[in-house]
Amino acid sequence: MAQRADTPSTTTRRSGPRAANAVDFWRGYALIAIFINHVPGIYYARFTHTNISISDSADLFVFLAGWSLRIIVGLGDRHTPTRHIVLRVCGRALTIYAAQIMITMVAIAMLAATALILRNPLLLEWHNAAAVFQDPVPAHIGLAFITHQLGYFDILPLYVALMLMAPAIVVIDRFAPNFVLPISLALYTVVLAVPIPIPTWPVDGQWFFNPLAWQLIFVLGFVMAKPDAGVGAFVRQNMFWVRCVAVPIVMIGLIIVLLDWWPDPTKMPRPRLFFIAEKTYLTPLRLIQFLSVAAVFSLLYPTIRRLAAPLTDFLSMLGRNSLEVFCMGSLLSLSGQIVRFITKGNIGIDTGVVIVGVAIMALTAWLAEWRERARGQASARSQPSS
Amino acid sequence: MARTRARPGFGKITAVVLSAIVFNSAAWAQVAVPAAPSTPPSAGAVLSSPYSPECRVGNTEIANELPLPNVARALQSRKSIKILAIGASSFRHRGRAGYTALIETMLEQALKGIDVVMINRGVSGELAADAQVRIKNEVAINEPDLVLWQVGTNDALAFVPLEDLRATVSETVQWLREHNVDVVIAGLQYVDRMAQDAHYKAVRQLLRQTAVDKKVIIIRRYEAMQMIAQAAMPSGTFAADEFERTDPGYQCLAQYLARAITLGAFGKGLRPPLRNDQPPSQR
Repeated sequence: MAQRADTPSTTTRRSGPRAANAVDFWRGYALIAIFINHVPGIYYARFTHTNISISDSADLFVFLAGWSLRIIVGLGDRHTPTRHIVLRVCGRALTIYAAQIMITMVAIAMLAATALILRNPLLLEWHNAAAVFQDPVPAHIGLAFITHQLGYFDILPLYVALMLMAPAIVVIDRFAPNFVLPISLALYTVVLAVPIPIPTWPVDGQWFFNPLAWQLIFVLGFVMAKPDAGVGAFVRQNMFWVRCVAVPIVMIGLIIVLLDWWPDPTKMPRPRLFFIAEKTYLTPLRLIQFLSVAAVFSLLYPTIRRLAAPLTDFLSMLGRNSLEVFCMGSLLSLSGQIVRFITKGNIGIDTGVVIVGVAIMALTAWLAEWRERARGQASARSQPSS
Repeated sequence: MARTRARPGFGKITAVVLSAIVFNSAAWAQVAVPAAPSTPPSAGAVLSSPYSPECRVGNTEIANELPLPNVARALQSRKSIKILAIGASSFRHRGRAGYTALIETMLEQALKGIDVVMINRGVSGELAADAQVRIKNEVAINEPDLVLWQVGTNDALAFVPLEDLRATVSETVQWLREHNVDVVIAGLQYVDRMAQDAHYKAVRQLLRQTAVDKKVIIIRRYEAMQMIAQAAMPSGTFAADEFERTDPGYQCLAQYLARAITLGAFGKGLRPPLRNDQPPSQR
């Protein structure tokens, strides 16, 4: 978390990928953990930090998405016109939306193809796909408005919603930076106190990730990425004390999860969302534990870098190309589930799923960077002649 | 409500009559809960066809009849029941309401003056172990009287070890009971391709046995759908269009669940159990 914001601006991409750094490294880790955790029942899910932590990779992913927003906006750059930044952020939202639509359609086709090949209509009902096949008229409207989400394809809709809120965050940050976090916190408090679910349609239900609650961790990433002012500066200046508080919280979280010492949620005071560990609303227990994990584990990156540079290079490569890798990872998770279903799943199959999956994710990242390099070279070649 | 003064056995008749009216009548006439018809039809005649024609499965018992004391108590004390639906998604189909909305409509039409609040919290693809955590949180947040839990299909597809699934379902049902929440389990879906699958079969048996051990209602959805499918297809041939079967599956599931709830609330005596703990509204 509190590693210096050593992620250079994305504008440097033209001249080659940026060097390995903590943000990309942890994002790369989150991408692999999400890929594995989205294959329910897979053997290797027991090795992701979800099993020793109240929060999981989704928290990390969204926090780092907020951190990246700061990179998009520019760390100390106040010369870029606000409208340019707003347009850039809206463009990013559109890109993520396009990615969500694409992977959803591919996932639907994968389920349909598997169902046809295996002559097994049960697969049409997997992962909330049934409405697409059985009630296509409203379901397609829902798909376009991302109010209909397939199971395990629900993080990008959250990301789109957050990026649609991002222009407001960016504008407030530019003109009244001290108000960004209080406004975010106030909205979060109201959403948990009422509570306010975000409905899905046409399937009755709620968004698995409530954007009005999850915006807080996004905003926290955004404000903490700013090294020289506000919360970001405060945390950096007091990192020792922050970690002194964080270590016991991480330990308590570890004990609760390992020993299954969850308090009975019905015995908690009201409004209960403030006192239970719940994912949809990113409740305070979860959020505080995540921030503590981030404070403690950010200490480890320099050591990991020193001891295992190839690992940090590898995960940073994934993290640098997070959207492409995430999209591929989502489809690989579904492929993994289908493979496990067909082969009746065992540790050998699970090993294959993980190795092949991570390899394809790496290939995706490598191709994305190769494409960037090729584009950069082509542009360099064309410049002298123009 | 007037049901508290009912004679022993009256509840059973009321439930049967209600079921008949709700599920058999095309008009779904509204009926006041306490009002018994002056000449109730015989139980046997009603039970022979408690569902719409497409959902009838002969003499096969679709659901085990067990009391739902917390639903009964909520109906008496609040004239409303709150139902939490966990599991597969509920959506409209060709102009017909989703299965949970259908249950809500059926119950409200049967129980005049009763408000049924249906809270849909299905998360698709979710394993029982994850649902277990969510059920506890949702109970804390929404304080339902009844949980409808569609469980098993995702675990079967993901080959979750049977013992793990058994422990998860048992513990969750036990936890709900300790927290004064009734539960109705809807078992696995039926498709031809899975009929010979040993693991799928084992999960189905596991759920049934767990329901028996824990004395909770389980809808024998697989068996019902299997019979409907076999009745619909010409002898010795493959199902004409098995990909179209999911719709009646959910329509019938709604009927089976609504009837199980009605019978559970009224069928085993109208009085809620005498307990010292707080009513649900004060939990």
